[in-house]
Order: sequence, then C-alpha cells, then structure tokens
Amino acid sequence: MSSLKRVQQWATFARIWHIYNAAWQNPFHSSELIKKYLMGMYKPIYHPMNDCGDHVIVINSKEIALPGDEWKKRVYFHHTGYPGGATWTLAWELHQKDPTMIMKKAVYNSMDGNLQRRYTMQRLHIFPDENVPKEFLGNVTNEIKQLRPMPKRLDCYPEKDVKEFPKVIDYPEDYVIR
Amino acid sequence: MSNSHLFLKPGFIKVPLQNGVGRYVCQLQRVVLKFCKNHGSSRGMRDFIESDLVNFAMDNPAVVVYLKPRRHRSAVIKAEYLNGDQQWLGCKNFTKEEILKWLNLLVTQSQYHTGTRIRKLWHTDNPSIQGPWTPFTFRDPKLNLASFPNEELAKPQDSNETNHEALIELFKKQKLDDLEQRRAE
Repeated sequence: MSSLKRVQQWATFARIWHIYNAAWQNPFHSSELIKKYLMGMYKPIYHPMNDCGDHVIVINSKEIALPGDEWKKRVYFHHTGYPGGATWTLAWELHQKDPTMIMKKAVYNSMDGNLQRRYTMQRLHIFPDENVPKEFLGNVTNEIKQLRPMPKRLDCYPEKDVKEFPKVIDYPEDYVIR
Repeated sequence: MSNSHLFLKPGFIKVPLQNGVGRYVCQLQRVVLKFCKNHGSSRGMRDFIESDLVNFAMDNPAVVVYLKPRRHRSAVIKAEYLNGDQQWLGCKNFTKEEILKWLNLLVTQSQYHTGTRIRKLWHTDNPSIQGPWTPFTFRDPKLNLASFPNEELAKPQDSNETNHEALIELFKKQKLDDLEQRRAE
C-alpha cells in the first residue's frame, strides 16, 4: 500500500465529531436521529461490518422535552437481581437524579441489541448543560439539525424588545394589568 | 452467508492472469489417491489407477502422484497446491471417467476455489475514478469557519417564520408606509 493510499484510507474512515443541542427536543425522536450518526449510517461507505461510526456530543440534556404527560407516566424499571430488588422510577425522578440518563437510555434502546451496541454507546457523550470540555469541542466539525424549532421564553428577550413590541389590541378601560 | 461459511478462508475473486506470461507453472503440486483394494465403492478409483493413471502422470510431470491403499475406507483424492491450500475430495462410488474429470479440474485450477468464502461478488483494483468518499467531500463550506455549538446551524431545515416574527415584520412595514405617506403630504 502506497503512502497515498494509506492516507486515503485514513481519510475515508476518519471519525468526525457532531454536536446536538437537545434543548426542547423529544429524546425518543432525537435518539433515532443521533443513532444514524453514531453508527455512521449516513455515510455512503456504511456496512454493518465496517467500523465507521462517529462521535456525537449531546448538550443541554437537562432541557429535553417529553411529550404529553410522559414525565409522570413513563416508568424506568431496574432489578438488582436479588429477591425484592425491583424498582420502578418515574421519568421525572430519574431526570432529577441524573439529567443525562433519559437521553442515554433512549439512544441505547433505539439500537439493536448486538455486540457492537456498547462500543457504539462509548462514542456518545452527553452533557446536562453547555459546559463541554474544551478538548471535546475542539474536535467538533458538524452540528446536527434539531427536529423542532426552539421556542424562546418571554424572560429570555431583552427588556427593550419586550417594551417595543407592537401593540395588537387596545385593552378595555377597566382592564387590570398586574 | 450461512454459518458453515464462517470457517472458510475469506478472499476476493481473482484471475491468475500472470501465470503463463513467461512460462506456465502448474499450481497443483501433489495429489494423493486413497482407495481400498477390496471395497466396491473404490471400484472406479481402482479402474482409473489400472488404466489411466500412468497416462495422467506422464501428461502432468509437474504433479507428484501418490497412491495410498487403505483397507475398508472409501476412495478419496487429496490435492495440495503451491499456495499451501489442501483440498480433500471424497470419491465414493465414482466411475473412472468421473475421477479423471475431477483430477483435470484440480490440475487446471490455481487454488482451492471452493474452500474460500468470496467476500464480494466483484473485485477491482481501481474502485473509484473520482476518488473514494471522505467525511469532508460534498460538505457545506460555511461549516469550515463556524464555531460550535452554533444556534443558526442547529435550526431545523424546514422552520417557517413564526407568528411573532411575522407580526414584527408587519409592524416595520406599516411604520415605513406611514413615513412615506407623511413625506408625500
């Protein structure tokens, strides 16, 4: 193999790093998206037997949005293996204990249970907020597009914009503004 | 791919085009004919040895031929190739014509073909003319200068204008219209 071909091989199979902002995103729909990048399924060279998966950094996993009343209804099951060792944890409880866990489990469950799954999971880096180590951020070369637009809360706008916002209606005279 | 293929030697399709350019080298090095002197299933092998074996050996001086009589075992041909492949061929109840045909196959083939699992049904030395794909081909050049995490790049592709933005646009337009009207007056 000539040195040119060797470098060509490195370039083709280079692992690249993606970043995904999980704020306001459904973790179960996002995991289907993240999975494709983790396993390298978006690449034209993809084959289940070649090792072409990428790294994905997920930020703001604390800000994920579960649909409907799933925070109250979704239950995570764990069994220690001892008699009476079964526990059922609600999604909101689990999220309080570890804000990365729901995202991690969603991605883990979206993939088939084969020998590669645990190694693929090692390439997923989840952070509860935007504090990502610098050496991780330096590798990132692509941003994964979010599934839904991020809404902006009123208290996130600067005060000037709020005051200058066009008046749509006239309040009635006896209307009380608190 | 079935499970019996797992223990075969994996390989690619190849054509031994280089053999015969200067001189031809027979790839079959050694062949052992194993047979029983009494049993009926070795009958064809015995006939072959009696009538055709000497001619076969004379025609192929590059191949070493061994005979190995074994009592009450079925007839077998074992072939060894120049690249180290060993092929074992059961010849139970074969006629002497069949044995000659199989031996001809062994002499003419370049390796133990049926003993390899073909990884792809095609093979080429020049897989791509425009160059193999890399993660950086067909990439949007604006990603080169972007810093991550980047809110603009994270926006969904089909995000429409929100009511909020539409209202502000309308308001700005109205203001401009008012200004023009005032100027006209």
